[in-house]
Amino acid sequence: MTATILGSTAAMLAQLAPFRSDDAAGRTFWLPPGVSSEAAQVDWVFYLIYWICLFFFVLVVALMVLFAWKYRRTRAGTWAPGPTHNTPIEVTWTIIPLLLVIVIFYVGLKGYVNLIEVPANAYEVNVVARKWTWEFRHRNGATEANVLKVPRGQPVRLTIQSDDVLHSVFIPAFRIKQDAVPNRTTYAWFQADRAGTYQLFCTEYCGTQHSSMTAMVLVLEPEEFERQIAADAAWIDQVPEEQLHMAGFRLFARCASCHSLDGRRLTGPSFWETHDKWGTSQTLEAGTGTVSRVVDENYIRDSILIPQQDIVPTYPRSMPSFQGQLKARELDALIAFIRRLDEVVDRSGKPVSGVN
Amino acid sequence: MTTLTPSRPAFAPSNYLTHSRGVLSWAMTLDHKRIGIMYLLGVLGSFLLGGIFALLVRTELIWPGQTIMTADQYNRAFTLHGAIMVFLVIIPSVPAALGNFVLPIMLGAKDVAFPRLNLGSFYLWVLGAVLAVLAMLSGGIDTGWTFYTPYSIEADRQGVIWVASAVFILGFSSIFTGINFIVTIHRLRPQGMTWFRMPLFLWALYATAVIQVLATPVLGITVLLLMVEKVMGIGIFDPSLGGDPVLFQHFFWFYSHPAVYIMILPAMGIVSELISVHSHRHIFGYRFIAFSSVAIAIFGFLVWGHHMFASGQSPLMNALFSMITFSVSIPSAIKVFNWLATMYRGRISLNTPMLYGLSFIFIFTIGGLTGIPLGTLATDIHLHDTYFVVAHFHYVMMGSALIAMIGGMHHWWPKMTGRMYSETAGRIGAIGVFLGFNFTFFPQFMLGSLGMPRRYFDYQAGFSQDLTELFHVYHFLSTLGSYFMALAFFWTAGYLLHSLFRGERAPANPWGGASLEWKCSSPPPHDNFAEQPAVGDCYDYDQIEWDEAAKGYRFRENYTPAAAH
Repeated sequence: MTATILGSTAAMLAQLAPFRSDDAAGRTFWLPPGVSSEAAQVDWVFYLIYWICLFFFVLVVALMVLFAWKYRRTRAGTWAPGPTHNTPIEVTWTIIPLLLVIVIFYVGLKGYVNLIEVPANAYEVNVVARKWTWEFRHRNGATEANVLKVPRGQPVRLTIQSDDVLHSVFIPAFRIKQDAVPNRTTYAWFQADRAGTYQLFCTEYCGTQHSSMTAMVLVLEPEEFERQIAADAAWIDQVPEEQLHMAGFRLFARCASCHSLDGRRLTGPSFWETHDKWGTSQTLEAGTGTVSRVVDENYIRDSILIPQQDIVPTYPRSMPSFQGQLKARELDALIAFIRRLDEVVDRSGKPVSGVN
Repeated sequence: MTTLTPSRPAFAPSNYLTHSRGVLSWAMTLDHKRIGIMYLLGVLGSFLLGGIFALLVRTELIWPGQTIMTADQYNRAFTLHGAIMVFLVIIPSVPAALGNFVLPIMLGAKDVAFPRLNLGSFYLWVLGAVLAVLAMLSGGIDTGWTFYTPYSIEADRQGVIWVASAVFILGFSSIFTGINFIVTIHRLRPQGMTWFRMPLFLWALYATAVIQVLATPVLGITVLLLMVEKVMGIGIFDPSLGGDPVLFQHFFWFYSHPAVYIMILPAMGIVSELISVHSHRHIFGYRFIAFSSVAIAIFGFLVWGHHMFASGQSPLMNALFSMITFSVSIPSAIKVFNWLATMYRGRISLNTPMLYGLSFIFIFTIGGLTGIPLGTLATDIHLHDTYFVVAHFHYVMMGSALIAMIGGMHHWWPKMTGRMYSETAGRIGAIGVFLGFNFTFFPQFMLGSLGMPRRYFDYQAGFSQDLTELFHVYHFLSTLGSYFMALAFFWTAGYLLHSLFRGERAPANPWGGASLEWKCSSPPPHDNFAEQPAVGDCYDYDQIEWDEAAKGYRFRENYTPAAAH
């Protein structure tokens, strides 16, 4: 069992530290590797447009440079006669681009239709965007922040929602992008054809940590995927009581965009700041004034579930409520993690020896 | 030559700069030329401010991770850069600054139709600019210049109210200028200047004015609704009150897409003048260029949805907007081909304004062509909201609209100030700006198509190692380019300022232009023309001859044009 926790913790760490993705393999000058079933067609359209545009660009610039040189004025005070218009020529250079853009529109539309028509047998993952984490909920109950596990070679439908402002799911390797809109459900689909690790970005500006709102897409072989998802759904219930604080480390992914483990001040207090105050009394900004509260289990629980109630002075009122997002035992694990932080990580956020 | 040639300006008490003196004579002036100059100073000052924010943004991105500022400061910097450049610089730059100066003179008129409204719109611009600067000093805003809801209506973003008020007021300034230009062009054209004898710059300004009058009210209503939403919570955009945040995007882009044409159309108008005058050859395909301006103005209203292909709007809408978007590319292509045809067998002087004109053709061709993969649905899904878009719109809005504006400034600088700048310094500046611009923004195309999202403070946290390394290379190049470009702009400001004090006196017609503004002295007298000038074909250069004494050109006396070609 410990091995499972340690394994998942390692995955967690891989995500905290800059990882090496499979976006490097097969990258071209213009495009990242295309790993999804639709990528080849998108790339084909891209390069069709690219070559047409390059042709016209070279034509225009070559003529411009040629004329500027060949017809440069050699004697002051001279001017040039010549035709002031030529309707057949002008109509020609209206019609040719028109025909070309009709073709481009058509191939673009065709590619787009393939991008939005979800195959019937798609595996569905619910995506919830929240400042500034991605939460991925699988049908068996497995829920993970900032790591999206999907099976290779099978269509996957992302059903996308937002809890606060606009966000956008962007996975360059799959050539998909879809905004997450509060009060609305949107979707995107892809079929990843190569196992590996790919980057997911948020591409709709959402505030302070917008550029850290990234996630890792893990494309796994189908059997491996089934095995991991099954383990993910049940892991928190299988963690032995004395290991609960370790489990909190894995759950920390959804806190990491605003809270640090190395003492750095981000949007919210570092977990070390909270840990160091454990058991002491601290002054907090409540709605109308200040209150004094002891930093204990109840305080952490309230901070996670009703974060707007009391705010640590000098920090913004940014934290969303995690009410209904965490299982009771996950909440216990996070509380234990903060209380026993020194047993899990050192002051620079590295796991202490013996953790893995 | 016994009489003083009309093209040798007296540069003495009789021009608009010396007509009356004192601060009040400027502050209360109804002279379109002085108002144009005041606009120009305001626009250039804002350009400096917006440019400083741009350099801060670029410097932050030179290394991954935090470099010179925090994420919140970065978000403010790029928002202010965008808002200043769009609302205070590019939108008023050509119509309100150069257009104000040139339009009535090109018509042979004494002023615009409504001089008081003109001054009023300048003061509205000042008020809007002051409000925007105050909002910055009081903490700034971090929403991006697009103010997307629901982020912008969150409680801790009160600065949005101030900036939205500023945008509302600036909108009225823009509408008033538009109305003024439309009426001026309809009513004050002189005898003989039919619609198809107007300089193409006026066609462009006219098309622009129509957009300003028709589209800007929508922006006004949108920011007003945004303010009402923030103050009273009426629930039109706020999803927690049952509102629709995507509705805001529709409203916003219904203005802001046509606004792109408010920026680029007058720039194209300038380029039509630059290319013809400095190629010393009649513009090729006058009617196609004129009608393409009108076509762009019309189609420009029907394509706003292409900013929203990933927003969740229906696929049918996406398909329709994509289709109409392509229709805008045709008139733009027509203009480029016509400019090239104008150069064909011309007598091209590669002086500073012409170099800016050629820069425009180069940069606008890239800016326009890179719009094609963005208008194409399949590829836009990948490229949307990445640096590819950032590069594309800088190629259009900065590299095209602003470069044309600076080219126009050089073209009419002798007319506005009565001084010539150093031609050598001007050419160095033009080439420097051109190189710096491409150096800055071309790497951003690769950044974007490789997946770097826009509005990112950092490209390290949660990023894979190899992407961080790759993005760093391009960001680094882009930042170096921006420093180079800034140097070129300071160089340009330097020799232009120098010319004000040490520059040679400008002749009435230094380039050999044939439109009416070259008939009056440099700088023009207060009333522009003592009597209404005779109108000919403004691109017929046979009516011009070189005047050695004036070191400039003059209109031939008793000239009768040859039969139309």
